[in-house]
Parts: sequence; C-alpha cells; structure tokens
Amino acid sequence: MNSALELKDISFTYASSETMLFKEFSLEVKVGEFFGIIGPNGSGKTTLLKLMQGFLKPQKGSIFIFSQAIDKFNRRELAKIIGYVPQENFFAFEYTVFDVVLWGRNPYLGRLENPKKDDLTKVMEALTITDTIALKDKSINQISAGERQRVVLARALAQQPKILLLDEATTHLDITHQVEFARILKKLNNLGLTIIFLSHDLNLAGLICSRMLLLDNGKPVACDRPEIILRSELIEKVYRVKPYLQNHPASGLPQIILPL
Amino acid sequence: MQKTLRLGWLWLTLLLIIAIVSSFVFGPTGFKITALAIPLTIRLPRVLLGIFAGGVLSLVGAVLQGLLQNPLVDPYTLGVASGAAFGTSIGLLFGTKTTSLVLIFSFLFALLTIILVYSVSRIKGRITKTGLVLAGVITSFLFSSLTMLAMVFSRKPLTQTIYLLMGHLGIIFTPANLILFIIAGILACALSIYLFSYWRSLDILATNEEAAASLGVDARKITQEIFIISSLLVALVVSLCGSISFVGLIVPHIIRLVFGPNHRRLIPYSFLLGAGLLLLADIIARTIAPIELPLSIITALFGVPFFIYLLKTRL
Repeated sequence: MNSALELKDISFTYASSETMLFKEFSLEVKVGEFFGIIGPNGSGKTTLLKLMQGFLKPQKGSIFIFSQAIDKFNRRELAKIIGYVPQENFFAFEYTVFDVVLWGRNPYLGRLENPKKDDLTKVMEALTITDTIALKDKSINQISAGERQRVVLARALAQQPKILLLDEATTHLDITHQVEFARILKKLNNLGLTIIFLSHDLNLAGLICSRMLLLDNGKPVACDRPEIILRSELIEKVYRVKPYLQNHPASGLPQIILPL
Repeated sequence: MQKTLRLGWLWLTLLLIIAIVSSFVFGPTGFKITALAIPLTIRLPRVLLGIFAGGVLSLVGAVLQGLLQNPLVDPYTLGVASGAAFGTSIGLLFGTKTTSLVLIFSFLFALLTIILVYSVSRIKGRITKTGLVLAGVITSFLFSSLTMLAMVFSRKPLTQTIYLLMGHLGIIFTPANLILFIIAGILACALSIYLFSYWRSLDILATNEEAAASLGVDARKITQEIFIISSLLVALVVSLCGSISFVGLIVPHIIRLVFGPNHRRLIPYSFLLGAGLLLLADIIARTIAPIELPLSIITALFGVPFFIYLLKTRL
C-alpha cells in the first residue's frame, strides 16, 4: 500500500507555549485507510490536523503528501488533494447551498474564470452523494446543523480530494444525522477515498475506522485496529476514567459505556 | 423574478443613464433645456467625478464588507479618509490657492495613513482583520483631532474647509489639475478591476479562515493586498471629493438584498448603483437650497433612515 500522508520525526511547539507538544512524532496513513485520531481535550488532535494541512509548520521533521514534501505544494495545489470538514462552520452572508459547494471548485478555476459545465457536474455529484441536492437553493444559514455539515462535506468532495480530513465533524449532530453522515463517509471510503477522522466519539470512531491513533498530550499511546485501541486499560490510562466495555451486537466491535 | 435578477446590470445602467442625463439638465435654477449649453465645461467634469466617487466608494465598501465579514464596515473604516482630510486642511493652512497642491497634499497624507495603519496593525509579523479595523479606528481619531487643530490655526473661514471635507463634486478643471484627474481616473479603473478579480476569493472568505485556506484561498495574503488596493482607491476619491459619507456603506447592502451576496455581481453592481445614487444626491445638493450643500448632508439624510431600517429588519 502506498503512503497517502506521512509525518516523519516532527517536533512542534506553539510560539506561546514553553512545553513541546510533539517530539519526534511519526505517523503514516496509507491510501484507502479510514484512519481515526482520538484523545482527550488538549492532546494535540487538532494541532496534528493543522500540521497535516500545512497551516502550522513543524520546527523539526517533515511532512509528506503522497511522498512529496508538503512545502512543495501551494495552497491551491494542496486544495486539489486534501478536503477539509471543520467542526464549526460560519458564513457571514446568505450564500446558497449551491454557491457554497461550488467553492469546492476554486482550486481548479482561474481568477476571472467562470465555472464550466464540468465544474457544475462535479458540484451536482457532490450534492447527490451527500443527499443535499434538495437543499441546493436554500440559504446556508437557514438549514439545520446536520444538513450544513453534509453541505460542507459536499464542498470538500467537489474539490475531488484524495484525502479527506474531518475535525470532529459529527460532534454537534443528533444521532439521525450522525448515522447518515457516518454512512456517507463509509461509502466514500469504499470508493477509495482516504479518510482521516478526528473525533471525541470513541464509539462512532470504533465502528467506522479501520485503524486508530490514541493520542495523549502529544504522545502516541497506541495506533492499531479499533478492537485493540478500545480496551479498558488503555482508555483508563489516557482518560483517567474506567469505562465498561461491551461488544456491538451487529459488528462485534468494542463499545464504551460510561461508568456512571 | 429570476429574469429580473439576471438583467440587474441593465436596470442599474439605466438608472445611471437617467442620473447622468438629469445631472445635465437640472441646475440651481431648476429644469432648463438651455442649461444644456453649460454642460461641457462645468457639468461634464462634475458628472465624471460623481461616477468616479460614487462608484469607487461603493465598490470598495462591498469589497471591505466581504473581506472583514462585517456589514457595518465602510470605505473609511480603515482610516484613509481621515488622513486625506488632514492633508486637505494642511494644504489650506498654507494658504495655497491652487487646487492641485491641496489635492496632492491630501493624497500624500492618505498614503501616509495607509503606511501608518499597515504598521500599527502588523502584530508579530502578521496582519489580522481585527488589527486592521482597530488600527483604522485609532488612526481616524488621531487625524480627526489633528484636522481640528489645523482648522483652529487656519485663518480662513471654516466654511471652505467644511466644504472640502464633507464631500463635493465641484472641482473646476484647470489645465494644471486636469492631468491629475486623468491620472487618477486611469489608476482608479485599473485598481477597481484588480479588486474585482478577487471576487471568488471574497465569496470564500465569508467562511472560517482555515476552511477558506483548505479551499485554496490564502486569507492573510489577500487581506494585505486588498487593504492596500482599496486604501489607494479611497485615497484617490477622498483627495478629489472629500469624505462623502454613507454611499459606500449603504449601496452594497441594497445590492446584497436584491441580488444576493456573490461578489461577481455585488462588486460591479455596487459600482453602477453607487455612481447613479451619488449623481442624484448631487442634483439634490445643488438644487434644494439657495447655496450648494455639502454632499454628505444629503447622503446622510437619506442614508441614516435606510440604515436604521436595515438594522431593525435585516441584521
């Protein structure tokens, strides 16, 4: 399997902080993986995602996208490879859903160039696969949070990315939308898209990821299949809570139950 | 409805043409067809200046509201106008009678303000939107008080200064300043088109900075470029026509309400409507009273009620 994204011996410290967050940290995500990143608040998940997109630069070490150093890409080139779905989405003005998804074509369009037929087709495909086509003429600020998250996913898909990064994309969704969203991701992954899924929802991550990284304060505690990560001694060590564990009735994968 | 929207540019151009024709036929003495004889020497420059000022201010307002994601921003938020006003009052203080020198003073001080705002807003080597707005407001305060100071020391009657500061289209062209005006016009066209070329990036900047970056839009780089270009445009307008208020704030709102927020339409449509409305305001300013009123009085009297309406219903 080829490497989609690789971090090699990176060290990173925020300018405002004294302690080093990542120290000689390495990680490789292969093409076609559904890769989960979990860990407590402040463990460095979001920082990791920012490093992967070149928003932050490591002080040491290098990051490779499809075996090419990330510095070799400019923002537009990177946007053709990596799609990003943030946790919260803000829109200052009343753009339509269609407008927002069309932004996904930005990296392919010249400065004064209007979208071509091919771009519109790509937008329609993205709307279809995320089941948002019925919303296309509505204002982005007048649909529900669950719908908006699917629209932002559609926007990322219109970029025709090879890697999809999701930063707690399901955190604010009710279970209906969580399930729908997770099913769409699963479908995209089956079609060959590499997905990096950052989440606080250990159970959801355990069900959909093929491999997971458990982070604690910038250190990789374990990186393996969900059934190996979601063990009570590991979870207790990192989260300082001793959970109950039960197997999912359908898939047999471990699920965490809060010890209350 | 959809068809009306698509023909928006046609309606706005029509409005502009009506405004231009009215500017020629209405004078202080009311409607007079014989007044058409004056136009080429006095009215034509006035109409050109009106199109230039109203259009550019509205276009810059649209761009800055998009960039700063703030509907309350206007072309003067970033402080340039206050510097230009100070330049004007310094020019008058030196007792110069040639308009060219006042214009040049005004423009030089506007440039100085751009540099000042730019360096104040640069915090730890980067320009942020908040930094820009704060630096703009602070600089405005500084130059407003310096302008007051200059007016106190000036022995000229205050009316003349107030006219120049509060907006007017009444420059009389002499061979000396005609060349200035031509240069300003060409520069304004080039810079406006360049600003327009940011339309898609400005749309995308309506969302979170990192989401925009993931779509290939470098917010920091664009913020710097747009700040400099739009400040130059405002400097051109203010040094020629004073600080005409409200046009650059209201016009983008009207366009956004009718045609939606997409900058590909918003920017050129704002130019057309801004040019048209300013010409109409100018007609009122020079016909409603026995003497010509400063333009900002008219734009504010119409602009404020409209803005209150927006605030109560749309924001």
